[in-house]
Amino acid sequence: MNRRLCLVVLVAAFAGTMRGWAEIDPLDALKQQLQQMQQQMQLLQQKVQALEAAKTNSLPAVAGTVSPAQLKEVDEKVDKVVEAQKKTLMSEFNPAIGFVGETVFSYRSRGSEATGSDRPGGWDINQRSVELNVTASVDPFAKGYVVANASADAATGEAKFGIEEAALQTTSLPWNLELKAGRFFGEFGKLGYIHDHELPFVNRPLALAQYIGGESRSDGLQVNWLLPVEHYVSLTLGVGDSFGGDGPQSNPGGFRGIDGFNFWGRLSTYFDLTPDWQAETGVSGLINPKTHDRGGVDGLNSNQINTGVPLTENERRLAGADFQLRYVPLRNNQFNSFTWGTELLYSDNRYTFDPNGVTGSGVVTGPVYSGDVGSLGLYSYMTYKFSRQLSAGFLFDYVQNAQNEHDLTYAYSPYITWALSHWNQLRLQYTHTDHNDMSGLKPDDAVYLQWDWIIGAHSHGWQQR
Amino acid sequence: MKLFRLLLMAVLMAATAQAKVRVVTTLTDLADFTREVGGELVEVRSLATGVEDTHGVPMKPSFVPVMNRADLIVLVGFDCEHAFLPALLEASKNPRIQKGNVGYVDCSQGITPDDVPKSTDHSEGDVHPYGNPHYVLDPVLAKTAIQNIYKALIAVAPDHQAEFTHNRDAYLAKLDAKITEWQAAVAPLKGTKFVSYHEHWVYFAERFGLKYFATIELKPGIDPTARHIEELVRSMKDEHVALVVREPQFPEKVPRLIAEQTGATLVKLPIMPGGVPGTDTYIAMMNYIIRTVVAAHKT
Repeated sequence: MNRRLCLVVLVAAFAGTMRGWAEIDPLDALKQQLQQMQQQMQLLQQKVQALEAAKTNSLPAVAGTVSPAQLKEVDEKVDKVVEAQKKTLMSEFNPAIGFVGETVFSYRSRGSEATGSDRPGGWDINQRSVELNVTASVDPFAKGYVVANASADAATGEAKFGIEEAALQTTSLPWNLELKAGRFFGEFGKLGYIHDHELPFVNRPLALAQYIGGESRSDGLQVNWLLPVEHYVSLTLGVGDSFGGDGPQSNPGGFRGIDGFNFWGRLSTYFDLTPDWQAETGVSGLINPKTHDRGGVDGLNSNQINTGVPLTENERRLAGADFQLRYVPLRNNQFNSFTWGTELLYSDNRYTFDPNGVTGSGVVTGPVYSGDVGSLGLYSYMTYKFSRQLSAGFLFDYVQNAQNEHDLTYAYSPYITWALSHWNQLRLQYTHTDHNDMSGLKPDDAVYLQWDWIIGAHSHGWQQR
Repeated sequence: MKLFRLLLMAVLMAATAQAKVRVVTTLTDLADFTREVGGELVEVRSLATGVEDTHGVPMKPSFVPVMNRADLIVLVGFDCEHAFLPALLEASKNPRIQKGNVGYVDCSQGITPDDVPKSTDHSEGDVHPYGNPHYVLDPVLAKTAIQNIYKALIAVAPDHQAEFTHNRDAYLAKLDAKITEWQAAVAPLKGTKFVSYHEHWVYFAERFGLKYFATIELKPGIDPTARHIEELVRSMKDEHVALVVREPQFPEKVPRLIAEQTGATLVKLPIMPGGVPGTDTYIAMMNYIIRTVVAAHKT
């Protein structure tokens, strides 16, 4: 409509101009033409303004066609989005905080003097973990995390609060590098750096407890390198003042050379056998060239019970190989999966000791001198998940004492896990433990009921995959 | 001379291959969109194959080298990939695709989410704090995802803007035509009530006029209890719910039982391309979904 009007006005103006062209002075004609054009422009401007006003006035009429129910729906949507935005803003500078609780109810057929356990025989309730996890980005280049744990002391029952991990991890180093510094679980093997409550069974495998000393905790520095090749190959190297959660910490006094540190490394790779079957394997090594600084005393003497001979650990050497085969069907992996994991460890520590010490006799039968003790340990387990909530498995343990390879322990542990949800799970496990005569310990049977729960933030970490 | 030509061709081919934008997508629908917009200029790899749960793609170490070299990671957003993507991103050691950088393409940008929870307490199950992330099943909202992918491709390869624009426009035109066709096909089903295993179909139902009645799982990520199934069956009978939707990654037993007890029709619908045979592209998948729902309504 507007266009037509403009066109008519312009055509009329042009025609009028043309008609009088020959009759009047060209300059006057030009002035008249200009005046006419200005008037027309004013008319057009008025018209445009009138149309714009009409358009604006018509808006409420359009809005009026929206029903109250629709308006309410839009309001609710906007409210929801605003709420979500508030959550994002509130959490922008706050770390993710999670809390893990783990209680283990158990019955063991023999007392600790016969089993060598740090827990009593008979009925026992162990609040093994009360763990606080805090993690957040430090800046664009790093993230930080802290894992604090309060667990009951085996002897006194008193809750001890300690920092299990507190480390800084880089997120944007070049050349596929990642650096971790502080207190953390060093990468050795497959389950060494997994927290107790994340294990697929109740107790840490005996070989890891014997040779690593529990979780692979260290105060140190670790670098990981993803090799720049098309196949997944990961190399980790670390250095720290200790290695193993239950092991002695750094030397409180004296002077330590570089050989007083623990050095470790792991090389691992992975294969997609089929879209549903996966294989992962790795080799690990740990060396502490001069261990007599451990615990601030000149060596360890923990084997007196068995041999009556004081032992001094001079050098710590540990090698490991791990293999994991997994069936993770793409279609329903949350309801069905299978895992077979095995880890073999070989300890070759150097001690000052009496190699001919006879178990339990308390008699020293030979000269004391320095020598290596090569001992072997392994665990192998299979877990089958047959629904989102239920899985069952079997763990086999075999370990030689790191200070006496003739001292053997075996354990057989079937277990069943009922995950009520992602954050609440129960596990029932039976364990039969057997020892040979050299150990001086007796076979026993135990039943465990483990209850884990999580509140707050819970991340699905790369290591726990 | 022949050898020289061959070598030259090989070098040129290598150079062309290198010039491609390397894109990793979390799900197959996003991979399809990226291929449509990027054409020959992109090399696309999806972490999911199509049959997985959108929240449960297995974290395979073989993904890591691929992500390490990627120029873009394209994701659904709204925390859809929270179970696998953050850990994979960390393991990839690729600063280009970390959150906040140009290579991190969150396709939910510009989408108004449904079902934003008032509380993120776990008593409500594995809730998504930013709202329901399954918006790609609404083809109109999918266009926003396509636009986000288009913008990201331009950001990393501005020289090819004209090609990307042409490809995007052609694909959107094709999609618009299909949307009209799908809406016409589903029109007779307006108001049809249905249940599904997981809350995948909120946006889909809204777009096509269906009524989402309830989910078979108790809460997001929590299996149904006997009491929940009993109550669901009773209320479905009362409300004449006609359709039970099972997503392929969930077991058939409970949806079948519910369908049998209520007389509703059980259908299996993919949630991303490749979820069932013959649904390799987004359009093929939506064709399948619409066809199946319409056929179920007729029975």
